[in-house]
Amino acid sequence: MLIWVAALHCEAKPVIDYYRLKKSHDDSAFDLYRGDDMLCIISGVGKIASAAACAWIAARYDHEASIAWINLGVAGSGQHAIGAAFSLNQVIDADSGQRHYPVSCTSSVLPGSACLTLSQPSEDYREDTLFDMEASGFMYSTLRFSSAELTQCIKIVSDNREHKTGKNRQQVSDLIHQNIETINQQANDLIALNNEVAGLAVTPESWQQLIALAHFSQTQKNRLRVLWRYLMNRDTSAETVLQKISGCSSAATIISTLELLSYQDSEGL
Amino acid sequence: MVSSVYIESEIRDHPRARKLLERLRNLPVVEIEHYGEVFNPRAQNFRLQKKNPAIIIARKNDGHVLAAPKGYGLGGKHNYYFSHMLNCIYDCRYCFLQGMYQSAHQILFINYEDFGERIKQLAARHQGETVWFYSGYDCDSLANEPMTEFTDYFIPLVASIDNAWMELRTKSTQVRSMLKLQPCERVVTAFSFTDPVSHSKLEHGVPSIAKRVDAMRRLIDAGWTIGLRFDPVVYHQDYQAAFVNLLDEIFTTVDPQKLHSVSLGSFRLTRDHFRKVARLYPEEPLFAQKMDLDNGIISYPQEREREMVEYCEAQLMKHIPHQTYHPCEWHG
Repeated sequence: MLIWVAALHCEAKPVIDYYRLKKSHDDSAFDLYRGDDMLCIISGVGKIASAAACAWIAARYDHEASIAWINLGVAGSGQHAIGAAFSLNQVIDADSGQRHYPVSCTSSVLPGSACLTLSQPSEDYREDTLFDMEASGFMYSTLRFSSAELTQCIKIVSDNREHKTGKNRQQVSDLIHQNIETINQQANDLIALNNEVAGLAVTPESWQQLIALAHFSQTQKNRLRVLWRYLMNRDTSAETVLQKISGCSSAATIISTLELLSYQDSEGL
Repeated sequence: MVSSVYIESEIRDHPRARKLLERLRNLPVVEIEHYGEVFNPRAQNFRLQKKNPAIIIARKNDGHVLAAPKGYGLGGKHNYYFSHMLNCIYDCRYCFLQGMYQSAHQILFINYEDFGERIKQLAARHQGETVWFYSGYDCDSLANEPMTEFTDYFIPLVASIDNAWMELRTKSTQVRSMLKLQPCERVVTAFSFTDPVSHSKLEHGVPSIAKRVDAMRRLIDAGWTIGLRFDPVVYHQDYQAAFVNLLDEIFTTVDPQKLHSVSLGSFRLTRDHFRKVARLYPEEPLFAQKMDLDNGIISYPQEREREMVEYCEAQLMKHIPHQTYHPCEWHG
């Protein structure tokens, strides 16, 4: 599951259009758009709004094996041209001084930049960092639910010393739209990483099927999960394993049967 | 492949830092205050990070040289270890470094002089007695040598202290810089090997056995002191034949009489490290094998371990003089 977090509709629109996301009418706290294993939430402006939106959506999708996040929005810059796109490698909260470091595990197609998250708009630009109003709240919140490798911020320069386009909604959408192919590439890399993490998890369906077979103590459940995760990540189907333990009459015999299967499978490394 | 560089602002103008930045000039550089703010946060996925780790250039402020853990070493009375780097460029599935830190980024400490001062102090404290300094506990001593120039500083330092011995533990073939130096018999380059099957399945990114054997030969030819470390010995259905093949490959090239020391030990991890690594790599057969918990250490069941160690020792003794052998002692 990839979740896009944008402050404004005009920032989210290029993504909503590109991935053909549909507005959800089931939700009222935040505007939410859904697609195939993808969501886009409109948080509202500011770091608190961003953090609240991330926490709300993470709680709603806590059954997901793994969630990847992208904070997409515009930023101010003292040195970059309007429309330049960046993947943030350092996010600094201007109020608290707290710093976060999104980690890029792939060769990023976007150049990296630091970003200072402000509570109020400012045009007192610095040369070495972008200015925004959400990234630190986004990072603060999402790092509770996902690792730094699955948490990215993409910022497009909308304002600099010469030009101000950040208040023109259509121009904001256009600036993001101009970069949508690069943004998509970055998103695909992130989705691949997230799928790797999610693929290692035990699916809720198979887990429910498994623990319904006998009464397992918590210690036995822990051992069962380790064994099941191993076997399901090898060339073994759930059906085959379930068939092998179908005759077992207790939790202990199920575990010892699965242990035997694991030991046999691991003999050759 | 390295993804980016983090550097502590305070050391940006240090000559070693400047040299490193010049070498890594094509990578994005992020200035930080202290390496801990990147290296220590909990919300990091070691497995994902290991795909493209970053390099962190930092200063180590304390704990430069520490007492070696019990059982580590070659039986000397005074054993210390130090790490000019944290984490390793290689990705060996059995290695405790996978569970050691939150991050897979590689830290390069550049304040060698502070390490050197501490080494001198400790050697002076044990005047007249042999003191061992082990490098390669939290990293591979030589793997980043072209970047770190570790040997250029530390080998002449140890050579200048009469009672100091140093072990460089490595799986690398980066010996070119050592070949330019005057050999010192008190610097032991210890090459770690696992059998060919374990190497191909578990040692990701590690140079081939043949290339490492050749690196050993070049060092021996140049007059350097060499050690062999068969640690860990990993169980699999063909471990016996594979271990014999490994010994054959090594000893057709390396003269056993030229070896300073040889050690051997079976796979083991502390319970905490084992659990952490097994969670990171749930599909890894090494962690699905039958293991027992003994005194906080997870290792093979006693009978299997005894059989493996006895077999491998017997094969080893066909090649090496008995006095060079030091079994890894970790039980109890």
